[in-house]
Amino acid sequence: MASHDEEFTMLFQEFYPSLCRFLECLLGGRVELAQDLAQESFLQLHRTAWETLPHGEARFWLYRVARNFAINEFRKSHTRYKLFDRVVEVMTPRMRNPEQEYETQERKELVLNMLSTLPEDQKVALLLREQEQLSYKDISQVLNVSESKVKVDIFRARAAIREGWTKKEKRLGAAN
Amino acid sequence: MNCDCTENISLLIDGELDAVETRALERHLVNCLECQEARADFLSLRSQLTDFPVSFQPVAQREALARILGKEQGERRPRPRGWRWAFNPPVAAFASLLILAVVFALLVYPRLKSKPETSVEVASGGGDNRSNRRTSVPTSSPAPQGTPKKATPKKSPAPATGEKKIQIKKSTPIFDPQPDNIAKNVATETGDTSDPDISNSNGRVRSADAETMTAIHLQKAELLLRSFRNVRTNKSGSVADVSYEKKSAQQLVFQNMMLRREADAAGDAQVSSLLESLEPILLDIANLPAKPRRDDVRVIKDRVERKNIVPLLQVNSNALARALD
Repeated sequence: MASHDEEFTMLFQEFYPSLCRFLECLLGGRVELAQDLAQESFLQLHRTAWETLPHGEARFWLYRVARNFAINEFRKSHTRYKLFDRVVEVMTPRMRNPEQEYETQERKELVLNMLSTLPEDQKVALLLREQEQLSYKDISQVLNVSESKVKVDIFRARAAIREGWTKKEKRLGAAN
Repeated sequence: MNCDCTENISLLIDGELDAVETRALERHLVNCLECQEARADFLSLRSQLTDFPVSFQPVAQREALARILGKEQGERRPRPRGWRWAFNPPVAAFASLLILAVVFALLVYPRLKSKPETSVEVASGGGDNRSNRRTSVPTSSPAPQGTPKKATPKKSPAPATGEKKIQIKKSTPIFDPQPDNIAKNVATETGDTSDPDISNSNGRVRSADAETMTAIHLQKAELLLRSFRNVRTNKSGSVADVSYEKKSAQQLVFQNMMLRREADAAGDAQVSSLLESLEPILLDIANLPAKPRRDDVRVIKDRVERKNIVPLLQVNSNALARALD
């Protein structure tokens, strides 16, 4: 039992931060909810699938479950969590340097705004590719879709974001 | 985006092309500016997504792990996720502030807000609050509560009103149309503040007692009209003396106006109509000369008879008195 928990702990420590980040990006910056869902995903893994999964599959399983949780939460209680996450964000004391905090927040918002323009499929595929560095094959396993769909989704996501940048540059140029 | 190779650039940076395709695309890249830009943009995007800061704290991570393991072993049971936000300190602080604000809004604020208006409401008795909201009342000397009729009347000298003509329309500038100021105006106009039915200690009328006042007013008017009906003429053809009736009418006419307005505001059409009929008669009597001619008196008497107002006054005053009992 101890070795079982140790193995799980190692897995948790390795993937919990990146799963939190993945969920945060997916949920539009709702940190508290992202952490809750990451924890929920690991709990599910520990409870049901941990023993039965083939070696190396746990990571894919986690992202798949986390993504489903995120979609469910979006459908279920979008407004409530958005409100309370905002409250938590506003009222949580800032521990770091304010300038650094501001810069980090700016960077995050830039990325989140960028991602918010994408359809959910494209967003998930792109995040798994860029942040988690999964191959197209792995992504297709996580999302349970074909590799060609993953390829198209990732390209379309990149192209859409690039187009957004181009339009923004044009607007800025026109304004100046 | 005219170059067809842009999609392959996406595959290239992901390492999804085989060696032959990779070499071919790299050769193409040397000469294609558009593909170079696309690759730079895609890599920039990758850089931004990779640099997305992770918002988690090691302590929270350890706690999360402990919860998971504890939950599975039945040792520690985390709160249900749906309610976890409620126990978050910032949320709890926010909720406390919200509750305090609601309590303040419900309990304290209405009292603070209504404080300056308290005496106004007392003065108007809640009967007609529409017209007297702007009336400023000194709160330092509030009117005695609940016993308006027992209030000690001001003892002020009552100058003789004599031959002073009472004309409603012409006196408008000095006559405040606000119902709660009418009594004060009555006192000012007639110079008589000794009637406890009209004024109280601060010169205001309490319309909470409007019905009582109306009943008394109707009785007084009835007595006046009966008295006026019995006025006899001298042998010389002039009327003996109507000074008592004149003075009573002068006092009653303003009270009549006040009560009529109050009845209007309260929607009491019957009383309002009666007082409206009474008003010109009272005005005529009040404006009689000191030595009126017989015809002047007769005209008024005829009108009183024609309108059959004395029995109406009697009936209404009795009805109001019964209702008050």
